[in-house]
Amino acid sequence: MFNWMRNRRMFVLMIVFILFVAVMGFSIGDRKKLTWPENFALDTSGFFQQWLYRPAGYVSNLIHDLSHMREVYKENEQLRIAAAAYARDSIKYNGMEDKLKKLQDDLHFTERQRQLDNYKYLIAQVIAVSTDPYDETIRINLGSKDGIKPNMAVVTNKGLVGLITRVDPFFSSVMPITKLNVNSADTKLIAATVLGKEEESFGIVDNYDTETGKLSMSKISEHDPLKKGDTVISSGKGNVFPRGMVIGTVDSSQVGDFGLTYTATITPAADFDHLREVFVVQTPDTGDTAP
Amino acid sequence: MSMQRIIIVMLLFFLSEGTIFYWLIPGDLVGRIIPHFTLAFVLFAALYRGRHASLLLGLSFGLLQDLAFYGRIIGVHSFSMGLVGYMTGLLLERKRSTLLMALSMIGLSTLVYDTVVYFIYKVFRLTDLTYEYSLYQHIIPSLFLQLLFALALYIPARRWFEGSLKPKTEEEEV
Repeated sequence: MFNWMRNRRMFVLMIVFILFVAVMGFSIGDRKKLTWPENFALDTSGFFQQWLYRPAGYVSNLIHDLSHMREVYKENEQLRIAAAAYARDSIKYNGMEDKLKKLQDDLHFTERQRQLDNYKYLIAQVIAVSTDPYDETIRINLGSKDGIKPNMAVVTNKGLVGLITRVDPFFSSVMPITKLNVNSADTKLIAATVLGKEEESFGIVDNYDTETGKLSMSKISEHDPLKKGDTVISSGKGNVFPRGMVIGTVDSSQVGDFGLTYTATITPAADFDHLREVFVVQTPDTGDTAP
Repeated sequence: MSMQRIIIVMLLFFLSEGTIFYWLIPGDLVGRIIPHFTLAFVLFAALYRGRHASLLLGLSFGLLQDLAFYGRIIGVHSFSMGLVGYMTGLLLERKRSTLLMALSMIGLSTLVYDTVVYFIYKVFRLTDLTYEYSLYQHIIPSLFLQLLFALALYIPARRWFEGSLKPKTEEEEV
């Protein structure tokens, strides 16, 4: 009876603490399917958030555009030049595609090999962003009903933004690549290579330094031709991740931790702030995914 | 104001955290100023309503935040918000507190909350930032925002949380 209240409070606190540790431990890492309460909460909040995020983004961009009127003219000019270049390139591309198809026919490519580069870009609207510094999450309005699966690549026109981590029926969460961390328990690794030297160059993008704002690519061989200013792209080895997604440009390259391999620092190509539209890259279903 | 209305207001603020407020802050401050609007309400509840109301609000709104932005782990915000709300309530429940007292308590509790969240992420090895760095990088800047928000909401929030309690206490006195 002496300090019964205090003891009971301690007891309840301990039980709640254990319960929470169990929930946290359970929720870390890859989970293929979420339970229905999670789906319900994710979908409901997503539904309401999308009505706030888009108008807010629209108004903010409008104000930004009004105050940068002069730059908009300049930007338009650049876009016109880009469009002209695009028209010229598309003629060239059509010719090359025909040729490629003919060559593939001549070489008897299988259906799987043919479909390997046929990526689908699904446009998604951003509906909310969590700015939690340890768990930045971008929510987009495509979900498992649209064929989104965990670990798909998310890109903008500038480059790779992140990976899909959680999928619920109508929305999904994207982990930006600024959350890659080689020491963390649930990290992802991206096999990368250099644009133009795809055969000779190989490394793994596995870490982002918050303090310098640079990605690092490790496990590069010493004979690698990689040098400053090269564009790093995803290599697509392993068939999970699409090939040719721009990750960033090489800043510098130095001997790695153990002196056997090299590590390069990379400036990310994509902007992570105030996104409105992103693309989810859907790799062709080659039929070899485990059920 | 009844509890249902307060919850609706809190939900609106919760929804604005990741959407409207995100657009209000300039690009280079994203990730440095983190809104804790729901936490401010939880702390007001602790100061002017009671520790149990605060505990429940903290647990549920923390869980909502965990679920709505589920990226890596569930339960961190729920646990820390509930804990901080309850502790604040335990210390200062329904004491006559001045504006300065309330503000400093909210500031302190926000600091404790951010610290608890940091150490949970650290324990599960989901972050390798040092505590000093995250203190400088986002905890202190978001503390200022939290204080401003609490100052702006002090009078209405106090009225809402105390107001709906008044009829009850009068009945008890009678």
